[in-house]
Amino acid sequence: MASHGVRRFKPVEKTPEEHERELKQIEEYKSLENSVSEKVAAQEYSTETLRQICDLLSRNPEYYTVWNYRRQAIRHQFSTAGGDAGDSAESAAESIVQLIKDDLMFLIPLLRSFPKCYWIWNYRLWLLDEARRLLPQPVARRFWQEELGLVGKMLTLDSRNFHGWGYRRLVVETLKQLGSEEESRNMTQQEFDYAKKMIGANLSNFSAWHYRTKLILRLLEEQSASDEERRAMLDDVFAGEIAEIEEMLDGAEDCKYIYQSLIECTLLVSKVAGHMASEDHRQVLSWLSELKQLDPLRRQRWLDLEKTLQSEITAATST
Amino acid sequence: MSLAHGPGRAGGLSGSSSDQELHALKHVAYIKNLDTRKDELQYWLTEHLRLNGIYWGLTALHLLGHPDALPRQETIDFVLSCQRDNGGFGAAPGHDAHMLYTVSAVQILVTIDAVDELEKQGRGGKQKVASFIAGLQNKNDGSFMGDQWGETDTRFLYGALNALSLLGLMDLVDVPKAVTYVQSCENFDGAYGISPGTESHAGQVFTCIGALSIAGRLDLVNKDRLGAWLSERQVDNGGFNGRPEKLVDACYTWWVGSSLAMIDRLDWIDRQKLSAFVLQCQDPEAGGFADRPGNMVDVYHTNFGLAGLSLLGVVEGLQEVDPVYCMPKSVIARCFAR
Repeated sequence: MASHGVRRFKPVEKTPEEHERELKQIEEYKSLENSVSEKVAAQEYSTETLRQICDLLSRNPEYYTVWNYRRQAIRHQFSTAGGDAGDSAESAAESIVQLIKDDLMFLIPLLRSFPKCYWIWNYRLWLLDEARRLLPQPVARRFWQEELGLVGKMLTLDSRNFHGWGYRRLVVETLKQLGSEEESRNMTQQEFDYAKKMIGANLSNFSAWHYRTKLILRLLEEQSASDEERRAMLDDVFAGEIAEIEEMLDGAEDCKYIYQSLIECTLLVSKVAGHMASEDHRQVLSWLSELKQLDPLRRQRWLDLEKTLQSEITAATST
Repeated sequence: MSLAHGPGRAGGLSGSSSDQELHALKHVAYIKNLDTRKDELQYWLTEHLRLNGIYWGLTALHLLGHPDALPRQETIDFVLSCQRDNGGFGAAPGHDAHMLYTVSAVQILVTIDAVDELEKQGRGGKQKVASFIAGLQNKNDGSFMGDQWGETDTRFLYGALNALSLLGLMDLVDVPKAVTYVQSCENFDGAYGISPGTESHAGQVFTCIGALSIAGRLDLVNKDRLGAWLSERQVDNGGFNGRPEKLVDACYTWWVGSSLAMIDRLDWIDRQKLSAFVLQCQDPEAGGFADRPGNMVDVYHTNFGLAGLSLLGVVEGLQEVDPVYCMPKSVIARCFAR
């Protein structure tokens, strides 16, 4: 619907043959759709129904209602798995494992072709949750563990994929719930290292930076770190970041982000101290006048900040 | 009656990007013609968006000052034909009920002043629609699911508050809990993600700020910090992106612009330059707007491009849009005057 990044082209009059072909495609599609709806309405969840659902979803993965049909059909298969008299619970579990495996496989090419389609990611999560609901914990955990490998591959292909990062977070959360306390703690450290690796591969990967920020807090929380340890860790983080900013400053006097960082840091320091030194005030105002030049798009923002600072000075000197 | 499908078969390859006129009548014609393309496969492949599409097209037509361009009774009939037994709406007849389409259905009925139609033919009235929505709230954390299958996203929370407030039935849900959930999606940069812990995204900022606005809790927002993040979305060509280092897109004119308007920081960006960028995304010959200049148009970008232009107030000739609901201000005023 929302066509993103598709170049506009001159409309070309369709030849009668092309027109005919398109009408035939429509007819085929509609008849497949009707057949699926009828079978689902009749609760006929046969292998043939599932095959047609696959076919329809491969043609149109955005058709959310058909993903729901698929859930119903798969649930039906789960409930009949190992249903023959004499079958053990074990063989039922085995059939369910196979059903889930096959279904996860079916989704891979779709995810590759439509990495931004919400419905596919959702369906996949639902399926993995079914594994958790129906299978012994160690078996379910294996599915989720493999998922972490898959999402890693997806993020290597597109390191800013919004769904990919959100999905990774969910997979990690679940793995933590499915593992021991120690496994859970190791997982946080492992993810922290992963974020570092992704940042190393591309310094301007904001998604990885964001992930890292959240993980720092998590690490501190889980290690129930003492104040001292927290300070040491934050010092470590800030030292790294300040060093980076200093490196960037060299020869980049026209980079607005550096002035913005300097202002932000100074304001933060003064907030902690409870007041701003008059020298800092002058400094910030001079950086602001640079910014007004360098960043005309956001001129009013800098004017507003200037006004706030000046009224603070006035208030401070009058008391 | 069905409407949403793209992409438009646009001409306009002359590349006259200097074209800074709003081609209002072309856009009206483009939207009106959307439903005549049933001989294109794409029309059928996008049926899962039909009700959203009608909302987009209808809103765009209202903003363009052509509120009667779509036949009213046919619109009502189609909307009602999408309602399911549980009170929710699907994208088209026979499609499953979902929050996204239920919100569109309510917005359409409010826009054409036809909410009363829900009371007819034993449909259970607006109460039944509202119950469907309220039933999707997670009582533990205040979030909302899209449907019974469990996907959770701040889009659905916003949609729920949007539709329920339009129906005057907000008391069916736990608003304070919903507000707390929105707060838990806030990041250090002042912006918001799709769920707690996820990266900030301009679309999600709109849903979170819109929800807080409807709940009357904008006081919880760090406006300077969020305003800073939002204003950084404007890039040199004037357009907005949705996240740092991503491509610009005309639809972010709305998601970012309306958020800035809601927190009273719309003057922190260059409106002239942004308007100029959006106008370049028009197809001056066949009508409609695309994500970027020279690309295929569609009704989604047409609505959010026009709504963005209305908000910015640089281009003349558009009706005023409400930044919280993305509906004409006059409609919202009428709805809440009751």
